[in-house]
Amino acid sequence: MLDAVFVIGGVGFLAALVLGIAAVTFAVKPDPKEAEVLDLLPGANCGACGYAGCAAFAHALVQDPDTPMACTAVDADTAQRISSLLGRELDVAGPMVASVRCMGSKDSAGSRFSYVGPMDCRAAQLVAGGYKACGYGCLGLGTCEAVCPFDAIHMGADGLPEVVLERCTGCGTCVDACPRGIIRLVPKDALVELRCVSLDSPKVMKGACDIGCIKCMLCVNVCPFDAIDVLDNGGPPVIDQDKCHRCSLCVDVCPRGVIDIYRVPQKVRIVEDRCIGCSICDQVCPFDAISGEPKGVYVVDLDRCRGCGLCVDKCPKDAIVRVGDA
Amino acid sequence: MLSFRGGIHPPGMKHLVRDRAIVDMPLVPLYRVLVQQHIGAPAKPLVKAGDTVKRGQMLSEPLGFVSASVHAPTSGKVRGVENCINPVTGLGSPCVVIEADGEDAWAEGIPFDVDPFSMDGSELISRIRSSGIVGMGGATFPSHVKLSPPRDKPIDAFIVNGVECEPYLGADHRLMLEEPQRIVLGARLVMHILGLSVAVVAIEANKLDAVEVMRKNAPGSIRVEVLDVKYPQGAEKQLIKAILDREVPPGGLPMDVGALVHNAGTCAAIWDACSRGIPLIERVTSVTGSGIREPKNIRVRVGTPLRDVIDFCGGLQEDASKVIFGGPMMGIAQYSMDVPVTKGTSGILVLRSREVDRSSYTSCISCGRCVDACPMGLLPNVLSRLGERSMWEDALEYNLMDCIECGSCAYVCPAYRPIVHFIKHMKALAREASAKKRQAV
Amino acid sequence: MSDGLVVVSSSPHIHSPEDIGWIMRQVIYALVPGAAVGVYFFGLPAFNVIWISVVSCIGVEALLQWLMGRAITVKDGSAALTGLLLAMNLPPTSPWWLVVIGALVAIGLGKQVYGGLGNNPFNPALTARVFLLISFPVQMTSWIVPRPFLLRSADAVTGATPLGAIKTAVFMHGNLAAAGKISLMDLFMGNVGGSLGEISAIALILGGTYLIYKKIISWHIPVIYIGTVFVMTGIFWLINPGVYANPVLHIFSGGLMLGAFFMATDLVTSPVTVFGKVIFAIGCGVITVVIRLWGGYPEGVSFSILIMNAFVPLINRGTRPVVFGAGR
Repeated sequence: MLDAVFVIGGVGFLAALVLGIAAVTFAVKPDPKEAEVLDLLPGANCGACGYAGCAAFAHALVQDPDTPMACTAVDADTAQRISSLLGRELDVAGPMVASVRCMGSKDSAGSRFSYVGPMDCRAAQLVAGGYKACGYGCLGLGTCEAVCPFDAIHMGADGLPEVVLERCTGCGTCVDACPRGIIRLVPKDALVELRCVSLDSPKVMKGACDIGCIKCMLCVNVCPFDAIDVLDNGGPPVIDQDKCHRCSLCVDVCPRGVIDIYRVPQKVRIVEDRCIGCSICDQVCPFDAISGEPKGVYVVDLDRCRGCGLCVDKCPKDAIVRVGDA
Repeated sequence: MLSFRGGIHPPGMKHLVRDRAIVDMPLVPLYRVLVQQHIGAPAKPLVKAGDTVKRGQMLSEPLGFVSASVHAPTSGKVRGVENCINPVTGLGSPCVVIEADGEDAWAEGIPFDVDPFSMDGSELISRIRSSGIVGMGGATFPSHVKLSPPRDKPIDAFIVNGVECEPYLGADHRLMLEEPQRIVLGARLVMHILGLSVAVVAIEANKLDAVEVMRKNAPGSIRVEVLDVKYPQGAEKQLIKAILDREVPPGGLPMDVGALVHNAGTCAAIWDACSRGIPLIERVTSVTGSGIREPKNIRVRVGTPLRDVIDFCGGLQEDASKVIFGGPMMGIAQYSMDVPVTKGTSGILVLRSREVDRSSYTSCISCGRCVDACPMGLLPNVLSRLGERSMWEDALEYNLMDCIECGSCAYVCPAYRPIVHFIKHMKALAREASAKKRQAV
Repeated sequence: MSDGLVVVSSSPHIHSPEDIGWIMRQVIYALVPGAAVGVYFFGLPAFNVIWISVVSCIGVEALLQWLMGRAITVKDGSAALTGLLLAMNLPPTSPWWLVVIGALVAIGLGKQVYGGLGNNPFNPALTARVFLLISFPVQMTSWIVPRPFLLRSADAVTGATPLGAIKTAVFMHGNLAAAGKISLMDLFMGNVGGSLGEISAIALILGGTYLIYKKIISWHIPVIYIGTVFVMTGIFWLINPGVYANPVLHIFSGGLMLGAFFMATDLVTSPVTVFGKVIFAIGCGVITVVIRLWGGYPEGVSFSILIMNAFVPLINRGTRPVVFGAGR
């Protein structure tokens, strides 16, 4: 019995010795800063930064001072903290989210054949170019949902994907995965989007989908901010999210209902004590919703105001605020 | 006689058309001649709306070496170069739309009569090229390219492929029975071009009547070999293995082992082109399956709309559910009745609702049937599991690109897994990734 | 055309009619002779073990799949088959609760926890059998003498199995003499003690041959497994026939026939390549003999198969076929 104790004990001691020596000899000294940066990164290893996972990106950020802030999955606050940790300024783009540019649901868009095969949009695209009557519309088999590292896009009952804005980090994985290029990244505060990318002629479109864009161009013409671009590929107009003021005039004018608005922007009101009556707001308002006497207090007509906020930007005295704000 | 490893034995189903002599399909009012009916670079259209064309006139010329021309199937007026659905991709493709004038008048100079054996190899190859001859077994590889191997890869063995291993199809069978001389003369021409003194005609044992006819019509220099009935015996690599006991290396071509294979129909077309100047404008096709009311073997002009072919064959059964161009193992399912017959349409198969599989699939149970069936020695079970997760990089390590997409694995899989579809999916992802890499460089 | 639309899919467009359900049914048919002999020699208790096992396995699978939010797949027959195999591996007088626990382990731990059919690395029925053997050694080693048309377990007479008798004799006396005379004909027909479904070599050979004929299993694993056992026990019998039983006795005794034809050949847990199957079968044979001749247990089939199951992924990796054209 004593033999067993000595043998086992001896083996254990030997193993501990070997491990101890190895731990010292082969020790790698990681920069503790890397661990701190890694802690702040989301840890989803989505690869949007271009590095092989968050650990690799943290390593690059700490070791190479030229590494740009390529992580799209952190908010401005976290980016600021990483910035202070590293002791240098980081250029952070505004947060972006995915925007699904198709409204061809199961009810609106028809099929040209019955598809049998794997439930993957890319695989389905290989079979005669996809089963949807519209060759550009969403196939609804959920590849975007399957690849999303943040669980931020889900297939709805209507056969179209819905983006969960609170979770989406704009990593772009779904954008690459969609075989039809339907998803694009837009700024998180973008409110209006034309959800169609079909290059088909209006005639073909009417046969394929009840809701897709027929390129009537009414939206282009009505936009007071010149924020809707006509592409030369024959496709639907595209809203320039940098110029769009979310006045939603295009949403109202679209005969197909294919321009979507996330939420209607808040209207504005003029704070009386701050108004100096310079009349700039009246001049710039595209909807003729502000009136008043020069040098007097100006007033917003809430029936006309569309919440585009142009006057808010232009007022030299910050005297115009959103209804509901102080 | 050696065979190849693997393979399957699906029911032959050739009884529907095996005894039906070839009938000529009458002219139709409108022809849609796709500009791309071959593997390789697209061809350049030579005609425009309003032009009058004659039967056999060149409509588009090849661009580059690996390319092929197309010719007018009949005389008429060009309505325009429009977008038609390509039966191979299901997408729109440019095609020359011809309104037939009913005269069916030949273009000037054809047909003529020469002795092609008096011409030399390069002349003949040039004529084959300008006649738009492509592989008619379905692959549509330009034949003049096959006949011009690089100097370091000479051909010492030529096989005429009369195997027609796909179930349901019988066009090559009837061609061998009814027009053996065209095939034999075409084969002799190929031997003449390549400088070969012997050749083999390969026929499966379910066509013994054709074996007899071909033996009777072939000279001593061409011997007929009978092969065991097994799918895919007619696949090029497997055929070369069975007849010559040579294996084409992965990623390689038959010329790498000194072999050349031509479909029987292609040989006949080569003969017509070289002896009479007739370009490839028609082919024999089996219109078959339980979903078509009058199965037939038809000689049909390239560009004939599917709708017209179906009408000529009695129309569809009430519950016809799938229309396939080609055979049931590798053919391509169609959704549009306006799609045109092309040079590679070896068959038109219509299946009825009860024969069409709509099953969803389950997990792989590692039964190994697919491994036994695969003629290329791959592991389709592993590839299917990788395909489910789109893991194409790992699949490349399992020889993803060597798959010939014959369908044997998916046929036997008890879990009904769409293995070929998974493989096509991963191949597409792999090609996309390497194209992106090339762009970035 | 249903709802007016044609069906379009990737090639191929035809399919063999032999699906999973068909395969499971064939294996169940092949087991019927063995099960029938078991019911004949062990009577009503055996019959009860069979139906309780089958019903429990089906029920457990349906329940677990429902609880896990997965599609319920009992219609494919794989749970029923596991139930039948489990029953055939149990002593005929097993109490009902033992059988139900066995079903829970076989389906729950042996199959569903890995993701269901096709994803389990170990043979489910054997997983359950070994679990029960270790947890309830008394019930799992209570053997009875065959008694046709037996109605109650209480009326049965206990007796050692042939392999049990051999093991005891060698342990206690160092030779086979004490084991007594064991009739080869009895072993062949099934008139011996043992698990419910393992006793009749002829019934199992018949069923196994049917499976090979129907191409559901290949001949490699059964023939090479049994062959390895025969050769190995034969060598030792030649060296010392007083201590080592003769090879014919060995191949007809115990669970070898059942194991070689029906358990080692389980599609999910055996290698996919031919060469892999050969290695697997040899491994099973060697381990079985080692346990039988020198191990603590009288029978080694269950353990040997489970141990080799663990090596199957490695075997599959090591026996990849040569790709066409990549050299001989």
